[in-house]
Amino acid sequence: MKKGISLLLALLMMTAVLAGCGDGGSGGQTGEKVLQMRLTSALQSSDWQATTLQNDMRITWVDVFEGLYGLDEANGGYYNLLAKDVAVSEDGLTYTITLQDATFQNGDPLTAEDVVFSYEKAKENSRFNYVTSFINSVEAQDEKTVVMHLDYPNSAIAHTFWTVKIYSKAEYTEATAGGKEFGIAGHTAGTGPYILKGFDATGADLEAYENYWGGAPNIKKVRYQVIADNNAAVIAFKNGELDYFPDVPTTEWEAVKAEAGENCQMVKANDIHWLAVNYLSPTNNGILSNPKVREAIAWAINKEACVMAATSGYGTPAYEYMPHEYVATAPDYTEGGFQTYDYNIEKAKQCMLEAGYTEADMAAGIPVGDIITYGDASTPRAKEAVVIQSNLAEIGLKAEVVVQEYAVIGPRMYSQDYDLAVFGDVGNYDFNNIRQQVHSESVGMYLINYAHEDSPFDWQMMEQLVADGIATADTNERKEIYTKLWAYVMDTDTILPILHTGNGAAWSERINVPSVCPTYYHISQWSWVE
Amino acid sequence: MYKFVIKRILFLIPTILGVTLIIYAVMNITPGNPGQAILGTGVSQEDIDAYNEKLGYNDPFLQKYVRYVKNMIFDQDFGISYVTKQDAFTEILPRYLITLKLAFLGVFLSAIIGIPLGIKAAVEQYKLWDTIPSIIAFLLAAVPAFVLGLVMLFVFCGWLNVLPSYGIGSFKHYIMPALAIAIPPAAQNFRFTKSSMLESIRQDYVRTARAKGVPEKQVIWKHVLKNALLPVITQVGLSLGTLICGAVVAEEMFSIPGVGSLIVERINYKDEPVIIAGTILIAICFTLVMLIVDVAYAYVDPRIRAKYTKSRK
Repeated sequence: MKKGISLLLALLMMTAVLAGCGDGGSGGQTGEKVLQMRLTSALQSSDWQATTLQNDMRITWVDVFEGLYGLDEANGGYYNLLAKDVAVSEDGLTYTITLQDATFQNGDPLTAEDVVFSYEKAKENSRFNYVTSFINSVEAQDEKTVVMHLDYPNSAIAHTFWTVKIYSKAEYTEATAGGKEFGIAGHTAGTGPYILKGFDATGADLEAYENYWGGAPNIKKVRYQVIADNNAAVIAFKNGELDYFPDVPTTEWEAVKAEAGENCQMVKANDIHWLAVNYLSPTNNGILSNPKVREAIAWAINKEACVMAATSGYGTPAYEYMPHEYVATAPDYTEGGFQTYDYNIEKAKQCMLEAGYTEADMAAGIPVGDIITYGDASTPRAKEAVVIQSNLAEIGLKAEVVVQEYAVIGPRMYSQDYDLAVFGDVGNYDFNNIRQQVHSESVGMYLINYAHEDSPFDWQMMEQLVADGIATADTNERKEIYTKLWAYVMDTDTILPILHTGNGAAWSERINVPSVCPTYYHISQWSWVE
Repeated sequence: MYKFVIKRILFLIPTILGVTLIIYAVMNITPGNPGQAILGTGVSQEDIDAYNEKLGYNDPFLQKYVRYVKNMIFDQDFGISYVTKQDAFTEILPRYLITLKLAFLGVFLSAIIGIPLGIKAAVEQYKLWDTIPSIIAFLLAAVPAFVLGLVMLFVFCGWLNVLPSYGIGSFKHYIMPALAIAIPPAAQNFRFTKSSMLESIRQDYVRTARAKGVPEKQVIWKHVLKNALLPVITQVGLSLGTLICGAVVAEEMFSIPGVGSLIVERINYKDEPVIIAGTILIAICFTLVMLIVDVAYAYVDPRIRAKYTKSRK
């Protein structure tokens, strides 16, 4: 009897557990064609201001919301989006923007008031100071005309026009009435080609906005599914459960490529991994303050080996802070004008000798501190750090690799509490963004404090070049100025570019993908294969 | 018996408060701040400081802790996530239920696989039913869940393509993650049950029962198993607690939106409300499981029951 009851209870428990396993459906499985996409973690928010991850921004910054300008990643520039026309005053201080005849997804027409409201919201958010701090005021001149006054001429304003997205003032105000947060649910407050219908921990569902001002998208339904693990994502792609696979792990590229055939492409990513050398570090009596030691480090780094270790060979050695292919104003290493470093162990050793160290010192090992980076040991940065450690050992410099969470490493880097740091930056589309690394006002953003009281560097000159760069609208002139700046930075041997990663994307036979962008793909430009 | 249960429930209060204190202290001493993590790299120190101030992050530790506990107890307010701006509890709860579901399924599977096999192996010691499962259990106990998960992923999804590789859409989605987390504890349950059974089998009371002519089946089920089950109950309870906290590997691998993966994700942002609330919920569940184990222990072990029955008199 007791056995029978136990068995029954066990069966009941099993039934209860299994019965609870059927919820949380992935949605969109009704026979209608649904584009299956991947998210690596749950969407943070449906508000463009609150999304910080690239995967999330691909949804909120491109599919759902739009700015005055769009980003032309392939050619390194911008194009008009919600701004039909932009006129600039002679002194470069006033921008008059005429708006497109666009409508929000809720049906309301886009007005100048919406633009003013959105720029006000962006200005209130310190995260966007870097693109809004120079804006003095934004006014609605009439229904479709916005006038923007700047504190000083800023040629990088195109990046602001791309970054700041436009909300429907009415819907935003209604959604946030009573102190509620915007972005915690789906909405129709954007002008983009897709409406975010909803999202949860399993993914997000998008639906085409049929009255999109640029024309209704061909693909009507999109399901972004959270697939955290790369192996699972590769298998999902192979099994036809994923239609588009962006950021294919380079370790899996060959396998994915074999599966995708011609439907895949590896492009140079618009990113940079670099080694920061903290000249203010007190380690070993300030060894890194010695310019010859820093130069030795620069020559000692084997970028090809870093590329191999970190990107399975799909990256490229870096000499620039921003790839010149994607940033029109970026210095181009192929044109010369600044020092570039490639692995040269002889030169590195010679620098160490000139720095005052002997062959015996190098043989015994000279402590240089830690190479810190963030993430986990499997990230490309951590792998680079290990290669750099062994490169440094070749010239007798002993370093330890420390890999920890960003929440721990980040503050150490920004407060110059480190010796050497492998850092990554991504998504710079105007070279003026280098300001965050070289300007004294960028406290909390830069890794190298050039304006420190013990600084041997001409930081005033660096800041002047940053200011000169944005003061002119001439792209060639800007590039020339930034090349001067970058040449000086390179001479300090404090920022050492290591590599640009590769960005592979593969797609199923069900869809047509006209081109692959390094960062922001446009689903609205894709179509189903007939 | 009631007294025992009430005493154990009351004991939960200092335990949970202790957990919140430890978590708060740990979050407080670790480097980094939410302002930096949330606002990212394009922000000045001034803005980061202002943001931290707005969040109350710069308040003294005790002030923050007391405020948190007060809000938690009186308003059931676990704070607002720094990342998603949602109520931390609302964000965690659905994920927490998914983790619980997975953990219970894992424990259930580990128990129905491990315990019967352990009993059979003990009863038929040195025979095939003992040798083969013992070798397999020895091997599986040493294999971590993520390796099992990977193997299953490649075999059942990549190769055979019979199971989905991610998500929680249907029962099929739970098969691999549940097995991945169930197999190592199943191996442990097997070994535990077997050794506990063997220990009981050699006891005098078993010899006496056999000498009295009690049928072998009855000896095993009534005399051996009942006594041997005591440590197994603890083992199963502990494995449930471990799975609630440790299902994160399976959650990550099979893209199951559980609380473990959420906490790991939010550590990167130092999203204190979510991390602390998630940890507290896990601690509460763990202590509740331990309470159930203790009660079951008291139920099965007459000595514990007798102790409380006596004190009632």
